Amino acid sequence: MFKKLIDKSAAKSPWIYHINTGSCNGCDIELVACLTPRYDAERFGFKLAGTPRHADIVVISGPVTSQSKERLIRTIAQVPEPKCVVTVGSCPQSGNVFKGSYSVEAPVEQYVHVDVAVAGCTPKPEAIMEGLYKAALLLEKKREAMHK
Amino acid sequence: MFTTQTLWNFFYVLIFPGALFTAVVGLFLAGIDRKVIAHMQHRIGPPIRQPMYDFFKLMGKETIVPARANKIVFLGAPVVGFISLAVIMLFIPIMGFTAFSGNADLIVILYLITIGGVALIVGGSSSGSPYAGIGISREMVTMMSYELPFVLVLLAVARKVGGDSLVFSMEAIAEWQAVNGSLAFHWSMIPAALAMLLVIPAEVGMQPFDVAEAETEICEGPLIEYSGAALGMFKLNTAMKMAIMTGLFTSLFFGGFRTGMMWSDVALFVIICMVVTLVCITTIHAVTARLKIEHLFKFFWTFVSGLALASLILAWMGL
Repeated sequence: MFKKLIDKSAAKSPWIYHINTGSCNGCDIELVACLTPRYDAERFGFKLAGTPRHADIVVISGPVTSQSKERLIRTIAQVPEPKCVVTVGSCPQSGNVFKGSYSVEAPVEQYVHVDVAVAGCTPKPEAIMEGLYKAALLLEKKREAMHK
Repeated sequence: MFTTQTLWNFFYVLIFPGALFTAVVGLFLAGIDRKVIAHMQHRIGPPIRQPMYDFFKLMGKETIVPARANKIVFLGAPVVGFISLAVIMLFIPIMGFTAFSGNADLIVILYLITIGGVALIVGGSSSGSPYAGIGISREMVTMMSYELPFVLVLLAVARKVGGDSLVFSMEAIAEWQAVNGSLAFHWSMIPAALAMLLVIPAEVGMQPFDVAEAETEICEGPLIEYSGAALGMFKLNTAMKMAIMTGLFTSLFFGGFRTGMMWSDVALFVIICMVVTLVCITTIHAVTARLKIEHLFKFFWTFVSGLALASLILAWMGL
């Protein structure tokens, strides 16, 4: 009876957990800007969660340094299904200006499945919002796929 | 032995003043709180039914039990908390209507609300996370802080209504208010009402008093390892506590109003609960930052307890 309501709710209340994998703090600031009164992501139900266990969407920023790679994989494994992974900025996709460094293991796709990638250095808050919203819609699809 | 009274009791516990009613009113109050606080910060804010979406989403998520956790306690704690909170509303008169009433309602309510808090502590401690350890120690201090003024407020009310003795029956308190006017309009009870308004956000775990669940420093404290349906139950418990505490305030201090009809009584009750939520939860949340645990303890045992004690002394002198 509640199946449909639960599926619908999956898209309406996506909680975000943010992982910084060696980012320069630029993308982190823009992600926080999404929650400010000007962009107000909370009107779609977005909320910053304090722990990966509460999260639906994991936001990754930064070029995946060697030190943070292991932690990134472990943190994402702690997130309960259905979950989405969103990368913010060019760094997690390609390594950006840090490419070629001995301590950067850039394309994050090698280690985790990425659902939505928002490019830019740094992307505008509007772009991040769109990426997050697309991830929220994906959550509903993933939830529907769970009981098949 | 299935009499009509048994059926009514089932109805009371499961639907009308019990589980369903408390949950719906609690989620509604939580939604109003989030919407109004968003408007105070010049945001649009989530829809009022947002806490319901949150709850149903959590019901549909995977529930992970950590390897180091005690599975039975970990999953049982939120259910125990839910059951104890679901029966509290039976003892609180909704204006003219009381489902159960006895001689010691206030004491029963005090214990049942404490079970709701203890469930959080037990659940958190069974998860085996060090962050939860810090969280539960803070939760315990918070509980000790607000229990003293809370008990003093209840004693003041009991003495005021009882005259020469103490009256702990909620129904008698409601009847007394219907005859003599609501307690909030008796000046000797105003300090107690103010103290109760400060106890409510601490009991619910809202902004300046949310040291136990500080998500930015100790990652939500006791809730850190919870996910899925168990987390949803805890979120629902918090919302239900909101309905119960504001409902308790309403029937203790504004219990004198009668409209004569059941549905309008309930509507009036919910509206007063909403106003109380806006005054003591939303406004305080919007203008304050989180306290440190020692400041919280000091604040409740000096200022808030002082207010409640003032009312108790005034009531004892017969004012």
